[in-house]
Amino acid sequence: MNSFQYVSPHTVDSAVSLVADHGRFLAGGNDLLGEMKEYIASPKLLVNVKDLPATRDISVGATSWTIGANVTVSEIEAHVELKRAFPGLQQAAAEVGSPQIRNVATVGGNLAQHSRCWYYRHRDIQCLKRGGSTCYAREGENKYHSLFTGNPCISPVVSNLAIALAALDAKVTVRRGKDEVALTIPDFYAKAWDNPEAHHSLGPTDLILRVQIPDDGRTSAYKQISEKASFDWALVSCAAAAKVDGSKLSKVRVVLGAVAPVPYQVQAAHEFLEGKELNDDVATRAAEIILKDAVPLEDNGYKVPIAQALIRRTLKQLVG
Amino acid sequence: MLSWPAKPDVVGASTTRIDAPAKVTGAAKYPSDVQPGGWLYGMIYRSRWPAAHVTRVNIDKARQVPGIKAAVVEREGERTVRFYGEELAAVAGVSKQACLDALRAIVVEATPLPFVVKEEMAKNPDSPRVWTDAPNLADPNVKEKGDVDKAFAEAAAVVEGFFTTPVQVHHPLETHGNTVSVTNDGVTCWASTQGIFSVRDGLASYLDVSQEKVRVLTDYMGGGFGAKFGPGAEGGLAARLSQVAGAPVKLMLTRFDQSLAVGNRPSSFQRIRLGASADGKLVGFDMDAFGTAGIGAGTASAGGGGGAGFPAPYIYAVPNIRVKQASVAINAGQGRAFRAPGHPVASFGMESILDELAVKLKMDPVEIRLKNDPSKVRQHEYQIGAERFGWKQKYKPPGSSLGPVKVGVGCAGATWGGGGRGSQADAQINPDGSVEVRCGTQDLGTGTRTLVAVVAAEVFGLRLEQITARIGDTQFPPSGASGGSTTAASVSPAVFDACTNALQKLQQATGVTDARGANWAGACKKLGVNPLTAHGEWQEGLSSSGVGGVQFAEVEVDTETGFVKVRKVLCVQDCGLVVNKLTCETLINGGIIMGMGYALYEERVMDSTTGVVLNPNFETYKLPNFADVPDIEVILMEMPERGVIGVGEPCTIPTASAIANAVANALGVRVSSLPITPARVLAALGKALKPGASV
Repeated sequence: MNSFQYVSPHTVDSAVSLVADHGRFLAGGNDLLGEMKEYIASPKLLVNVKDLPATRDISVGATSWTIGANVTVSEIEAHVELKRAFPGLQQAAAEVGSPQIRNVATVGGNLAQHSRCWYYRHRDIQCLKRGGSTCYAREGENKYHSLFTGNPCISPVVSNLAIALAALDAKVTVRRGKDEVALTIPDFYAKAWDNPEAHHSLGPTDLILRVQIPDDGRTSAYKQISEKASFDWALVSCAAAAKVDGSKLSKVRVVLGAVAPVPYQVQAAHEFLEGKELNDDVATRAAEIILKDAVPLEDNGYKVPIAQALIRRTLKQLVG
Repeated sequence: MLSWPAKPDVVGASTTRIDAPAKVTGAAKYPSDVQPGGWLYGMIYRSRWPAAHVTRVNIDKARQVPGIKAAVVEREGERTVRFYGEELAAVAGVSKQACLDALRAIVVEATPLPFVVKEEMAKNPDSPRVWTDAPNLADPNVKEKGDVDKAFAEAAAVVEGFFTTPVQVHHPLETHGNTVSVTNDGVTCWASTQGIFSVRDGLASYLDVSQEKVRVLTDYMGGGFGAKFGPGAEGGLAARLSQVAGAPVKLMLTRFDQSLAVGNRPSSFQRIRLGASADGKLVGFDMDAFGTAGIGAGTASAGGGGGAGFPAPYIYAVPNIRVKQASVAINAGQGRAFRAPGHPVASFGMESILDELAVKLKMDPVEIRLKNDPSKVRQHEYQIGAERFGWKQKYKPPGSSLGPVKVGVGCAGATWGGGGRGSQADAQINPDGSVEVRCGTQDLGTGTRTLVAVVAAEVFGLRLEQITARIGDTQFPPSGASGGSTTAASVSPAVFDACTNALQKLQQATGVTDARGANWAGACKKLGVNPLTAHGEWQEGLSSSGVGGVQFAEVEVDTETGFVKVRKVLCVQDCGLVVNKLTCETLINGGIIMGMGYALYEERVMDSTTGVVLNPNFETYKLPNFADVPDIEVILMEMPERGVIGVGEPCTIPTASAIANAVANALGVRVSSLPITPARVLAALGKALKPGASV
């Protein structure tokens, strides 16, 4: 990697002012250091954000839970009360990488991580996402790529936590300029839908501070399918949340991961499921609605049946 | 003639590796760990073009990078590069970062050339040529016996299939590389190698010095699987860097490098027709196959070829056969021998089509094998294995298990040599009773050091801790490269001979008629001040060659998601005289896990547009993890009267075939390409959407 300077500020103000235009925020480093080693990113300055105050706690309030940006994925995985409140989030955390990676990976980093597309990550390929002119995956090797996108790049979002948090209607509090803004998960990723170079909606000086999850009595679930039993990226993931009364669902969210540049959800499916008694036909119909606009490419059409199965199974798990 | 003891004490027992504590504490120094005084990092600059005419490799700026002590071009003058990753230059410096900076300061002037990285495109006569003087598709090797057309015309059942296997990359956990120190007095090389003498000879020839000037040391090494025989381009470059810098240079490849240029198992595309009479007796076999070894079969291929050919119809006796096999060149790194070269490839096609035939004839897969496999040993193994596995209870008609998650079973067989060859050893008995055994072999991780100690302890009637086994040094008596599963069968007889000679000498010198065991210390004391040394050589009668082996697999397949879980693999392996039961079984565990990787996960992915390897890391080149590993049961069919036979390779051959057959049995349709990924399972079930299709 190229040489860089390293600073370790103790206030958010100084972190944001230090990072300026040429710096990058460093938390767990799983993603950023990998990019630096491959010369995909060569920041002049790394601003360590791990020492920022009030970013490492999981706390519960009257109507919501707050998870600091520096909480590790393994802390989420192991947190007993959080698991009780949001089982889908815990399941999503438990599927991230390996124990070693989860011990280092942070919530903020998991949400803001960049594409894992093998063209994007290749040191000698200047793909569209890296400012080049071509998405090589479109006509190339695209078995891990998106079924839905609003732009020519077909690399999908791979954050597990984002999928679960989207289903839970969580908001990400971000320091933007002098303000704190609370972004919904759709807001957080919106830019990636139509901008091929974007991984999310954050600007270079935007800093994730915490995530807030409303505790609104809904239950949640998360499932993924990978090529291997563990330590592997999801081919497709699915999170769902709903208020469950017997088998009757309300306030439903179903979200797919690894099939679009954003956590993928379809409002019509949520409306369809509202107030329905869940059974196989209802779940199957919901899956049809969600996958209606899928555009399978040469190698990724198999993701459709996996997504269908995961939608059915995740909804079924909600009902128990 | 020497013979092994009829009732051995140590040989055949389960012995924990004598170097296990050193390995788990990190005290064991691998070639990647050694740090001779003043050592430098070395790194290789590789072609970023899949094909190009290179006019100049300018390393001037690299030399000026702070911390850089040497930079060399791989070859002077203009040249053509033929794959992404071909070696062009190398640098050595005081830090890894200095080397990385220097690599980025190298300027290459080149004209890109057209290239092709997919076998099926490369076959096309209009495709860019990898070698200008020859078409990519070589003339096929043709083998014919009997009258195939007549046999098919008369057959009661004929099945046809198209089977493909991917390019598999060796990926030992320790990458290829060496630490080399070249001085006026001679050359020392700490090599991660399967053949210390082949590295010695390769370096001597490369540097044009006499072989006795080169010493190669391999105390430990982290796996090779057939790709680590000679010094390689990386060894030669490290030696030249050391010459220029006047310091030792450690040049271990990165995982990225490892994916490109130091060997792989060639791919295959096999169209097969198989015919049988109504009672299931095979009558005709017709195969048209091709595959790629990249730009060609590698030079470092001792222990078996690295070419795209493979035995067909593998282990079965078919009276009428017609086999056409061709190799196709692509712009990718060369093939090298890979654990049982050719055999897993051959096994997958043949065992798959055989099961298709069994289905068509409504025969049990074990029955059709018993009917057609000429090996009495394997027939016996199928019977033992089927009984233990519960085959009769578990085997159900294809696709008949209920629910979305279907269960299936499959089986397959293997053949291998595993015989020994010339190896020498010295045994030294010291007056204090301690024993040193020296043999110029190397331990690939199979437990060779322990094997040496076990054989010595057996001969002398001693405990293992009384023996010091020294290996991995070309100053010790020569032994062959560790390829072809030959190490155990080469080393054990030589050590046995040396120790037997030493024991006789000790008894003669001291007048003690039986110096073994309890009499040992007293006898050794009588030696006075001079240790006693005896030489030994590989002897006929202590080893033999030729093993079979069969495996059974049980899988469950989720037909909604395509996910395959291997529940169980049972292996019945004939193995002659077992020297160390524990390491024999763990070796077989490893072979099965590697075979499982071949079945379900591993595949080098090349990109047609850019010509690069898209998965040069363990994130996307997928290997089994512990969570994937099934219940493995190993039954050793010991035949001590045959002497020692190597089993490092046969145990990995039938695993993928047995798993593939189990998947086909579960689904009722066959996934005829490895690896069997969720994508391929869903495609075979007709569930994957085609491009442009809508839900």
